[in-house]
Amino acid sequence: MRPSIKDDFMDDTIAFSKNHEEPLWFQKMREEALSHASELELPVFEKINYRGWRLDRPKDPFATATRDNNFDVPDTDNLLIQNGDQTLTNKLDPKLSEQGVIFTDIWTAMKEYPKLVQKYLLSTSIKPTDNRLVALNLALMNGGAFLYVPKNVKVDSSIQSIYLQDNNQKKDYVHHVLVVADQGSEVTYLENFLSQGDSADNIANIVVEVVACANSRVHFSALDQFGEHVSTYINRHGYVGDNARLDWAIGLMNDNQVVGDFGTDLRGEGSHSEAKVVAITTGEQVSGIDTKITNYGQHSIGHILQHGVILQSSSLTFNGVGHIVKGARGSDAQQESRVLMLSRTARGDANPILLIDENDVTAGHAASVGRVNEEQMYYLMSRGIDKPTAQRLVIRGFLSSVITEIPEKEVRVRLTNMIERKLINGQQK
Amino acid sequence: MSTLEVKDLHVSVVDDDDEAKGQEILKGVNLKMSTGEIHAIMGPNGTGKSTLSQAIMGNSAYKVTQGDVLLDGKSILDMPVDERARAGLFLAMQYPAEIAGVTNIEFMRAAINARRDENDQIPVMEFMKKLDDKQAILDMTDEMSERYLNEGFSGGEKKRNEILQLLMIEPKFAILDEIDSGLDIDALKVVSRGVNSMRGDNFGSLIITHYQRLLNYIIPDQVHVMMDGRIVKSGGPDLAKKLEDEGYAGLRDDLGLDVKLTDEI
Repeated sequence: MRPSIKDDFMDDTIAFSKNHEEPLWFQKMREEALSHASELELPVFEKINYRGWRLDRPKDPFATATRDNNFDVPDTDNLLIQNGDQTLTNKLDPKLSEQGVIFTDIWTAMKEYPKLVQKYLLSTSIKPTDNRLVALNLALMNGGAFLYVPKNVKVDSSIQSIYLQDNNQKKDYVHHVLVVADQGSEVTYLENFLSQGDSADNIANIVVEVVACANSRVHFSALDQFGEHVSTYINRHGYVGDNARLDWAIGLMNDNQVVGDFGTDLRGEGSHSEAKVVAITTGEQVSGIDTKITNYGQHSIGHILQHGVILQSSSLTFNGVGHIVKGARGSDAQQESRVLMLSRTARGDANPILLIDENDVTAGHAASVGRVNEEQMYYLMSRGIDKPTAQRLVIRGFLSSVITEIPEKEVRVRLTNMIERKLINGQQK
Repeated sequence: MSTLEVKDLHVSVVDDDDEAKGQEILKGVNLKMSTGEIHAIMGPNGTGKSTLSQAIMGNSAYKVTQGDVLLDGKSILDMPVDERARAGLFLAMQYPAEIAGVTNIEFMRAAINARRDENDQIPVMEFMKKLDDKQAILDMTDEMSERYLNEGFSGGEKKRNEILQLLMIEPKFAILDEIDSGLDIDALKVVSRGVNSMRGDNFGSLIITHYQRLLNYIIPDQVHVMMDGRIVKSGGPDLAKKLEDEGYAGLRDDLGLDVKLTDEI
């Protein structure tokens, strides 16, 4: 029998925890998660088989990260840049600090704000027992961040992070982000996962928790850029309290194989979430994305909009799940998933799933898998625009219904530029 | 001076299920024009006027089975659509495509820049100035250029937008496919003003229309009448007026043609 994950990593985990001066309660959480991880199920992604990706068989989570900084640093007052467990930059507008906003690496947070972290970490939005990969994320966490916005504080400027994932050496990436918007607060958060290097094949296990307390408003934007040499499990999950709103704008501009689990629990009465996902896949990439919103609270609103473009021999599966539980009267669940295939060897899937256990609700779905509109191509080319450029314009048009809905102009511009780059690369391959 | 020549052109509609089964629409069209000239093609419904324009532009739904199309003496049949456009052809379409997410402005800049060297793209100020000038000719506002390409445009706005592109791109030859359909008299005058502003030694146009009315505003140098996939008569502007008076059936009978007109009772 293969030695268990527990035997493999228990000593290293405790050593790593002590080395980072983690509080005992957190070290115990790690030990507990590691002990029971193998008893938990792996998460299921409809129509995606990721067994061969070794996501549940990490190798070197606790190696030291190398430094290879090759990225654009955004011009902003509130910024955290992390390379694994190393923090390269951490700044926050002093006005925000004075109001009690916390934005720091996870270890500093555990030391300086233990009560806050302990209160929310894996307790509200996600539980360590949700599945095996979440348990492993907790047990082997080797990087992370904490953002807290106190009651009734409204943050005007965006809070941004860049999380570098290192493929210059063998080092599995296990990252945990916790975002808490306390009652009546408002915040816009943008995170960017970005791979560095291509000399080692690694896995990435990422869990991002968002807690939107009553009457808060959270704009969560993510730009994911994982390189070819990593296999990624990414779980972003939100809790939405009474009359709170959590909006997601997620751009998947990865070059690797990815399973993404984007879930939102509308727990509060009158809670609201708009989840927007844009993905482009190229090469031989396989991507499976589950976006799920569950209406628990009465009069809650959950809308999912996903658009994807599939180039070359890549494959992209969008599963959209709208679930209204019994008792969530007056709730609304809507979703739209569309994928566009640009080559004969591309494979795409859009599966709308509505689970409705309450009568007094509204719900709807739309899904399509299609090819580039030839009439549009002809029109653009008849004006002298060459085929690749015309194709990019048509694709941009296709993705625009999601992009134009993203409220922050900066995110829209960055995402549009990323899309353009990814498409040009994809067309050249 | 440039020339556009259509020689014994035979065109079939491509049948997706069976290529051999395509129906022949054009049955030997001959036409020669030079820049500095405006030609009009008139004819009843279903005689192949739009097919001719699509075949010249290179729409893949139409297959040339015989004959040739020459621009300045060189065949363009092997060129893809975008290359034909950059060589100097323009087609104002009857049903322009709508593309959300791409603004008119950015589309027109892309079209102009496609004709220029990568290191010599049109400066923004120069582009905006030109756009202002051309919009003014067509009574158009900035608001329209900032909207998404043809999305939510009325029939008349689409036609106007086609002519705006024509003025911005300044091709050698423009084929206007029923640019007058669906226009009220005021819009017709505006569109005609746009086309007339292009008139000159470096521009030629082939105007396809059902009605003589448009030709009151854009006076053609030559008028051709098409029936059953061929040009059956050519003449000066008077020919259009004669047609308006006598109808296509009258002309057919004069010429002794054995052609069934689509809308004939």
